[in-house]
Amino acid sequence: MRIPGQRWYTPYLFAAPALVLFGVFFAWPAVTAIQLSFFKYDMISPPPVFVGVDNFVRMLGDGRFWTALLNSVLFLVGMFPLLVVVPLLLAVLVNQKLPGIKTFRMLYYLPVVTSMVAVGIAWEYVFHQQGVLNWMLTGAGLLDEPIQYLLDPAWALPAVILVEGWKNMGFYMMIYLAGLQTIPASIYEAARVDGANAWHRLRSITVPLLLPYIAVAITVEMLDAMQAFTSIYVMTKGGPQDATLTLGYYIWSAAFERYEMGYASAMGLVLWVLMIGLAILNYRITRGRTVIA
Amino acid sequence: MILRRAGMYILLTAIALAFVGPFLILLSAGLKPADQAVYSFPPDIIPRPPVLNWVIEAWTSIPYPTYLLNSVIYVGLTVPAYVIVSALCAYPLAQMHFRGRNIVFFAILSTMFLPGELMLIPRFLVVTQLGMADTFAGVILPGLLSAFGIFLLRQTFAGVPRDVVDAARTDGCHELRIFWHVMLPAARPTLAILSIFGFISVWNSFIWPLVVLKDSAKYPLALGISYLAGITGTDVRTLAAGTIMSIIPVVIVFMLMQRHVLEGMRGAVKG
Repeated sequence: MRIPGQRWYTPYLFAAPALVLFGVFFAWPAVTAIQLSFFKYDMISPPPVFVGVDNFVRMLGDGRFWTALLNSVLFLVGMFPLLVVVPLLLAVLVNQKLPGIKTFRMLYYLPVVTSMVAVGIAWEYVFHQQGVLNWMLTGAGLLDEPIQYLLDPAWALPAVILVEGWKNMGFYMMIYLAGLQTIPASIYEAARVDGANAWHRLRSITVPLLLPYIAVAITVEMLDAMQAFTSIYVMTKGGPQDATLTLGYYIWSAAFERYEMGYASAMGLVLWVLMIGLAILNYRITRGRTVIA
Repeated sequence: MILRRAGMYILLTAIALAFVGPFLILLSAGLKPADQAVYSFPPDIIPRPPVLNWVIEAWTSIPYPTYLLNSVIYVGLTVPAYVIVSALCAYPLAQMHFRGRNIVFFAILSTMFLPGELMLIPRFLVVTQLGMADTFAGVILPGLLSAFGIFLLRQTFAGVPRDVVDAARTDGCHELRIFWHVMLPAARPTLAILSIFGFISVWNSFIWPLVVLKDSAKYPLALGISYLAGITGTDVRTLAAGTIMSIIPVVIVFMLMQRHVLEGMRGAVKG
């Protein structure tokens, strides 16, 4: 049967706008990135000069690259409890049937919808030497002296990680909440009848049944952490003394402050390989028990 | 039992305060009169009395209205275009058999695995080569392809019963008419979700406009705020007022549409 209005090319026409955008803004740039990483190119004195693997060799001897890589790994590790563990507890908390619980869900999600620029600026007020965080910590006796968190090389990275984690927690909470709502309440009731307390229920029902969602959270967390940029741009610009220089920030500054497009692309490629590697590793470890591709 | 419940609400409220607190501090700083300290031990959070001169200051010390209008234009042009592009691509993926369907599918999927930082540089070069550096088009076009949008809509369209589509086809309906009169109405909730997510993401977009734009007159609001923060001598109250104003539109949209946002999250995870 010939379908009226449908010729062999009809599906392609529908997909054409997306495919053109894919070609121009994804495929072409991806190929360009790979090419560029073997060239030296400063955008001012064209054309690009082929330098073979020099950019990759340079990375090996570039102390700042290793600092950035280490900081990115610390970022990933530091955000793990904030984005994989805490949101799970939050999700359990807001999964209760209580009047007004939707309002709390919404408030916890609020930082997710606000811009990182606004969030970064808001936290600068919190982190101020005379700010509310120092007031709370000195008041509780945890600190003797107020700290300038964003200016202190020991504290700047944890501070930025805290802000990134705080901003995105609500998002991860919603991932878990979606999972929790697939668990029938009868399982919990049965466990309660058997005398299982809240901790037991969490450990032996919630966590195992949520494993696919935890796998998603871990994957997304790793990809997020490896790409952190705006928070650093707004709050610390990679400083003090490179304490918050992450791979993402270093790539940006190499490309758009020093115009070393080739070197920056080579580092971008390394970042990409790392991300793919982490995603595959995570997939292996969780044995593919994930709900999204 | 009542005690337990009260304790639960205290816990929930304390956590809520941790999430809303930084914004309240910002709001407070932006409304405080000049003779009231922004920082103090203990914090002095209630402005006495609240004043609007920092709002006016923020509005005039940078071209705030221009940035606001730019953000509205970016949202107004990007969101409908990205929803349409997504829907057009999702329809054949959901309801037609054709050669290369898997290739299209995996091409779209692959875009999720390209890191932003890696793409920033070559995409900037491509946009420059196309003569779109420092233009609205350069800011908007690369954002129109969204794997999230395409997959969510594909899933929705796949849920439209085959019979309905076939009936329309045997009635001699053109595919474009089916798309417009059957598919899009059936996907209304999903379209709402995508529009809200699009709004939020375009309103907050920062890094790409930062790279593409040289002329500060084309800045979206988020970039304008970061520009305001970078001007030495900007009063902390002015910065606070300007920043809090920049998030009001997105917060209002989120509060009105929160059901859709949270639905969308669920759809994305299950998708």
